[in-house]
Amino acid sequence: MIRVDNLVKRFGQTTAVAGISFAVAKGEVVGFLGPNGAGKTTTLRVLTCFHPATSGKAQVAGYDVFEQPVEARRHLGYLPENVPIYGDLRVEEYLHYRAALKGVPRRQRRAAVAMAMERADVLDVRRKLVAHVSRGYRQRVGLADALVARPPILVLDEPTTGLDPIQRRRMKALVRELAQEHTILFSSHILSEVQDVSTRILVIHQGTLRADGTPEALLRQSRGRRLVVTAALPEAELRALLGGLDGVLADAVPPAAARSGPVAEGDRFATVELPVAENADPRDAAFAALRARGAAVRELQLRLPTLEEFFLQVTEGVEAVPAEEHQPA
Amino acid sequence: MRVLLVTLKKELMSYFFSPVAYVIAVLFYLFRGFEISRLAWTYEQFPRAVDGFTTGYVFVASTNFMIVLVPPILTMRCFAEEKRTGSLEVLLTAPVRDVEIVLGKWLAALGLFAALWLPTALLLWVLTWPSFLNGPLPVGPAFASYVGLTMLGAMLLAVGCFTSSLTDNQLLASLSAMLFNIALLAVPNLAQQRFADVAEENHTVRVLLEQVNVFDHLQNWFTRGLIDTSHLVFYASGAAFFLFLTVKSLESRKWR
Repeated sequence: MIRVDNLVKRFGQTTAVAGISFAVAKGEVVGFLGPNGAGKTTTLRVLTCFHPATSGKAQVAGYDVFEQPVEARRHLGYLPENVPIYGDLRVEEYLHYRAALKGVPRRQRRAAVAMAMERADVLDVRRKLVAHVSRGYRQRVGLADALVARPPILVLDEPTTGLDPIQRRRMKALVRELAQEHTILFSSHILSEVQDVSTRILVIHQGTLRADGTPEALLRQSRGRRLVVTAALPEAELRALLGGLDGVLADAVPPAAARSGPVAEGDRFATVELPVAENADPRDAAFAALRARGAAVRELQLRLPTLEEFFLQVTEGVEAVPAEEHQPA
Repeated sequence: MRVLLVTLKKELMSYFFSPVAYVIAVLFYLFRGFEISRLAWTYEQFPRAVDGFTTGYVFVASTNFMIVLVPPILTMRCFAEEKRTGSLEVLLTAPVRDVEIVLGKWLAALGLFAALWLPTALLLWVLTWPSFLNGPLPVGPAFASYVGLTMLGAMLLAVGCFTSSLTDNQLLASLSAMLFNIALLAVPNLAQQRFADVAEENHTVRVLLEQVNVFDHLQNWFTRGLIDTSHLVFYASGAAFFLFLTVKSLESRKWR
């Protein structure tokens, strides 16, 4: 449904997007993840034909966004980051206007607006002036606008920004619900939101695509398995004991977030966190070694990397992970 | 065409819901009513032929108000406001062509401009009362004057649309359109005076100076009851030129 080939967008001297390629297949919910200023909005604006790319190609529903922008936009509903809507219209009037603008036939307009208001859950503010509704409602009015012409593709730019936790949860539930009928590409800089909703994640950073895959696939690519042990031994001794085990990478640099040191001042327990080789599980060996020393054990855990850590690795450039080839179905 | 009509309707609604149009209307009618009653008084006191009546009727100060100040005020929000709030992005990412949006907004402004003039026809009717004019109201010239004013308005509203598309500041958009209007109206006039001696000798120069004089078409033709295609074309092509610039200015986001 969406295809982007080697897209480059420069604004004067600044390169906002430096050659990214991806495709979104029908029925997918793709999270477009990246820190602020990564090039997310720019990419989405190219897809919505708001501004053209410096080079590269982009297609929406089979239409080239540069050559057939009106056709491409007809197949796409767009929710911009800061939903700016005309304050002097009532919610319902605004949606009627948008439906007409998007070419919903007159006879179907009322039903289309009612459907969009129901799906976006704005029925209770339908008679209010758009200027008077709260931020969360305004976001949903924007979403109702994106839905009103029933486009097969939805492009949502940071749909949860500025919402409170409850609204945020509702927005996520709504996106999941919409996924049954629409192909969705949505951007966010918050990992947990993308993780909860999407079937695939694209990580973009400094205008380049750093990772592409399902959340599980990205986790598999991620490095950073750690053995975490809290036992009644001085830290140095504990470290030496565990460092000798098979699969523990005692020489590797531990992750920045690794805990180590005595649990509390004067406590005989200490915690160490050591990197572990891929596919290794030294927990049993560690427990046996500690028991042989007669040390009491309070915690023994193999910690798997989280998507959060993966995201940080990718975006902080600690380890650049090559984008996985993804072929749309 | 659909987008044009939808935009036209929406913009007209916005105009009628905003107080600006009403404030302009009140000022304009008060001002004009006063001027026309003075005009009527002079005709009553000093009876004369009605030949030059429409020229006198059109060229009162409130006409200047309506053609220099009002078009920029009507059009200043067209694009500047949409740019400021960011709604231009929402608007132009719908399946629409830029030119349809521009035409829709301009036609709405033109509709309002014409609607503001329409009630002044009542003043003309009052003047037909026997005590004011010594003769029947020159209906033809009066009608032609309104056509001319609307055409001039069409051109100046296009100027306003253009300046509004250049900035996201409404005040700047309206002030620059006013300057533009004053220049458009005054410069050819000044040029005609300055080069009067050259024009006297050289036919081409004279015709050229006459042709580019924006005001002249109204003053010497429409208010005398002459609706000539060349003058209609002059204003229409002026409007088309500035609308074209507006579309290009909106499209310029694509070149940057």
